[in-house]
Amino acid sequence: MNTYYAANLLIFAGVDVIACIALNLQFGVSGIVNFAFIVFQAAGAYAAAVLSMPPDTSPDYSFQIYVGGLNLPFPLPWIGGAVAGALLAVPVGLVVLRNLRSDYQAIALLVTSIIANTVINNARPWLNGAAGLALVPQPLQDQIDPSTDSYFYFYIGLTAICVALVWFIAARIVNSPFGRTLRAMRDQELVATALGKNPVALKMTMFVVGGAIAGLSGAILVGFLTVWAPSTWLYPETIILFAAVIVGGRGNNLGAVLGALLVPVGFEEVTRLLGRLDIGPPNFIPAMEWVLIGLCILGFLWFRPEGVRPEARRIVPEGFESGVRVVGDLD
Amino acid sequence: MLEATDVRRHFEGMHAVDGVSLEVPRGRITGLIGPNGAGKSTFMAVVAGTLPATAGRIVFDGQDVTRMPAYRRARMGLVRTFQLPSEFARLTVLENLLVAAPGHRGDSLVGALLGPRYWRADERRIVGEARGLLKRFGMSGKESDYAGNMSGGQKRLIEIMRALMLHPRCLLLDEPMSGVHPRVADEIRGYLQDLRREGLTILMVEHELHFVEQLCDSVFVMAQGKLIGSGTMASLRRQPEIVDAYLVG
Repeated sequence: MNTYYAANLLIFAGVDVIACIALNLQFGVSGIVNFAFIVFQAAGAYAAAVLSMPPDTSPDYSFQIYVGGLNLPFPLPWIGGAVAGALLAVPVGLVVLRNLRSDYQAIALLVTSIIANTVINNARPWLNGAAGLALVPQPLQDQIDPSTDSYFYFYIGLTAICVALVWFIAARIVNSPFGRTLRAMRDQELVATALGKNPVALKMTMFVVGGAIAGLSGAILVGFLTVWAPSTWLYPETIILFAAVIVGGRGNNLGAVLGALLVPVGFEEVTRLLGRLDIGPPNFIPAMEWVLIGLCILGFLWFRPEGVRPEARRIVPEGFESGVRVVGDLD
Repeated sequence: MLEATDVRRHFEGMHAVDGVSLEVPRGRITGLIGPNGAGKSTFMAVVAGTLPATAGRIVFDGQDVTRMPAYRRARMGLVRTFQLPSEFARLTVLENLLVAAPGHRGDSLVGALLGPRYWRADERRIVGEARGLLKRFGMSGKESDYAGNMSGGQKRLIEIMRALMLHPRCLLLDEPMSGVHPRVADEIRGYLQDLRREGLTILMVEHELHFVEQLCDSVFVMAQGKLIGSGTMASLRRQPEIVDAYLVG
């Protein structure tokens, strides 16, 4: 296994873990069926790209045209990616989450995802349309040569730090009274309202938090790939992430991590290995991958809806109220 | 304490609640009875704010709450329970109570991110309060079980305890004895009498008329969206039109 392959695997795994933790906060913990999740990852990727790229001074017939081009140093483009994901969540959330029932919210978000991809695909002046952006500068590429093994290790380290940061934030949320309120809203929204909880505010909060984390995952990805185009964030990509959260176990962060490693990473690797066996016509294996992901979702929803790692039951130790024992983080 | 004036709720021309006016006095249990489809639960939902009123005015403790969202009414102390079991099934019994506690430092994104050191004192306080309620309602042994696994009667108790965690000033109970074993229903009756003695105001929809008779200081009768009478159960039994409409038998 060469370093490039290992780096590729680990960085993609890190990005998928971050994305699945974010989706779990929205879907698994808060009950928001965000079928537009990939749009927020894409927003972060585009934002990080145009913040780190040099100003676009080329003529319109150049191979790429784009807005922004602020040439900002690392880590500002990654922070910008997270902010872009969060900012995009505000108008989308205000439109979708306020007046629609949760099933209609899911449909509206799916449509949003398709509209966003179609618009960016066809509107070339903003983000270079279907061809997408290329030659995106990599973090600290002036200090470390990106073609060296050292750079791969460096990038794996950066990704790991982001995974740790996102895990920390998600654990704080899930294991807090705020997380308990989110789980209550997920189970019975109307009842939570009658207990003094504002479901729109709660959902908006988690939509923005999830959007920010999704944006960060996009920024990490584009910094590694150096390219980003509408073909990389089609709506089925969201379905893969949903499959991961369902398979891993909704409502707990460890389940989201397990799901990320089993579905996006695992399926990708199995497909790659099977591709060498020359089975069936061209594209047979990638097509079967989609069939298997669909079957995987159906199978788990039917036979094991709680996933590989079910949400933990939270038991408060006896004597906690008098400070004799302290409740532990159960995730 | 609670005053409804000419409250209406229409659904596509169907008048579920049609000009209901009533007053719920402080520290009393007021009953609301009527046949199925009379509009009692719709009226309760409108008073609690979980359904908006088409017209009319609702005043709670001197404040007009007609346009106020349900969550703000609950924070003011106007708290409802539901006709159908409404436990948070994937939370434990104890968590069902804890989630209702108002003003918890950890119940916000910022509070959560600041970590357990920031909110642990509040958590200790409300765990103590919730365990006190569980003990009072005889459910201490169930606190770590999933609420979804409880019996119908236990789910009713969870709902009442959960509402009490909000320190309500007025409790809107929608058929608290519905689907409950007679022994548990009798326990619930005892708890409600205790709550009245402690000064809690209650408006209660109930079909079990002997409980209404035992618990309620005054009773309103609804039929086809309208109020058709009010008084004590004894006085209502003497009104032929009410007996014909609802109290037959």
